[in-house]
Amino acid sequence: MAIQGAEQTILRDPALFYWILFPISIVMILTGILRHYATVLMNTPPKSPSTLAESRERLALLRGVNLRNNACSVLDRESFEMRKNYMVTGFRNGAFLKDPNNRGQPPANPMTDPAGMEAMMGMLKGNMMMMIPQTLIMSWINAFFSGFVILKLPFPLTIRFKSMLQSGVMTRDLDVQWVSSLSWYFLNLMGLQSVFGFILGSDNAANQMAQQMGMANPAAMVNPLQPGQDPDKLYLNEAENLEVMEHFCILDGVEERILQNFAPAGI
Amino acid sequence: MAGPVADIREISGSDLISALHLAQQAPAILGQESGSGATSNSSETADYYARLEQLLLACLRTGDDQSAHTCLNRLSLRFGPSNERIMGLRGLYEEATAKDQSALEKCLQEYDNTLSQSPVNVPILKRRVALLRSLNRPSDAISGLIQLLDAIPTDAEAWCELADLYQSQGLGSQAIFSLEEALLIAPNSWNIHSRLGELLYICASDGDASRLLGRSVQHFSRSIELCDDYLRGFYGLTLASTRMLDNDYAGVSGQLPKKTLERLKAFALLKLGEIVESRSIDDQHWASSRSELIAAKELLNRQ
Repeated sequence: MAIQGAEQTILRDPALFYWILFPISIVMILTGILRHYATVLMNTPPKSPSTLAESRERLALLRGVNLRNNACSVLDRESFEMRKNYMVTGFRNGAFLKDPNNRGQPPANPMTDPAGMEAMMGMLKGNMMMMIPQTLIMSWINAFFSGFVILKLPFPLTIRFKSMLQSGVMTRDLDVQWVSSLSWYFLNLMGLQSVFGFILGSDNAANQMAQQMGMANPAAMVNPLQPGQDPDKLYLNEAENLEVMEHFCILDGVEERILQNFAPAGI
Repeated sequence: MAGPVADIREISGSDLISALHLAQQAPAILGQESGSGATSNSSETADYYARLEQLLLACLRTGDDQSAHTCLNRLSLRFGPSNERIMGLRGLYEEATAKDQSALEKCLQEYDNTLSQSPVNVPILKRRVALLRSLNRPSDAISGLIQLLDAIPTDAEAWCELADLYQSQGLGSQAIFSLEEALLIAPNSWNIHSRLGELLYICASDGDASRLLGRSVQHFSRSIELCDDYLRGFYGLTLASTRMLDNDYAGVSGQLPKKTLERLKAFALLKLGEIVESRSIDDQHWASSRSELIAAKELLNRQ
């Protein structure tokens, strides 16, 4: 342990600041920006359905959810029961499925399904965008700057932070306030989000162009089904949710409500 | 640039007067934009293209086909002629500038060709329905729309259009069903609530008139609850409650007691009076809904 009460002093070369601390921060920010633009560039917009039946398969689920969420503010009992029965039967029979004959068979292997493959590829690309630069920079820092103590925090910390702040420096007695170069990298990695937000605008800025290319008609673009998911299972689930629904209607008594809330007292 | 931009934002889509104002500024806006070149950052251009689209629609409505063509060209330069929405807009332009019946038929043919290649081209699907309707083939339009809605049941706009088509064919209960579907997608839109109220009011002439009128009152009330100075809501509430009182439906199986209905009517008339008064002063601002205002005044005079 460090000697109690005594302030540890380490004589640091001021050049450490210019040649290690500064470059690491700059490089981290620049790679962040580069990654952002690379992601924008490689991002493929979600594929819109190619046939009407496929579109129905996707959106029927949303229709069920809409009915479940909004029925109470629109429908009276009779029309609600009618719609509920229609949706539940449809879900149960697989009437909304793209290919009702394939029902009950195990879902196609996402590796062989071209659409699933594409989605997996998208995910892979996203992960690669994160992984590759990080590996490169970390090995760069390890090769050039490992073992430097570059910074002293102006406030005391408990011993638990030692592993976080002093990775790469194996000195047991060093006070926790000192930060090693490798740790500075990790701190940057985690802590630069707000800087990116400041430089690149909010997260939406990245996707804005993609949205614009889709231009309107958001209804057709939504896809509630993940690749590889069996829509039939989701349908059965939704049918169950609809079945247990209790009907109530906020239109009941709305007349009294508006009289009470909006009408002046005299009426 | 501030002047025209601010004006464009005030445009309320379906209003002819403001569309005319906008279209008159078209040469200025288009000239300016080409002078300053491409605008700089992405959010601004997104805004810019949305404005171009609005301008295109306004120009088409007011007969300024040349400016409309310029808008369309700029849009397709940016997004490419194969973008679905651009295809829809181009179709709209072709329809608007079509000289005669046969040109419209040709448009229809083109839509069918496009759809055979990409069956889920939603803007074109919608254009096709609209074209069928303007060609006076409502039953084809309805079947096209049903096909569209079967594939895309979460499109409130299409449900509303279907309701309108059904109503024009005198199929009241189907129209009511369609509007209810639209409301399930957008449950808080007071205009659709009040539209549904109107439909119910219109349909309430046969068998279970008292039930339909009761529901009509409910939907008008709901639209007022959602927007407490909605002129159409109060107007409809007045009419519906008057008719219920006149026909002695009050108190019939599960309906409102007479006293509540009378209070509702008095309240609606009072608010209607207030709204008419305040909007008559600020005439210019409410120019778009002048016809509604006149109807409301007339109703107040009758009472």
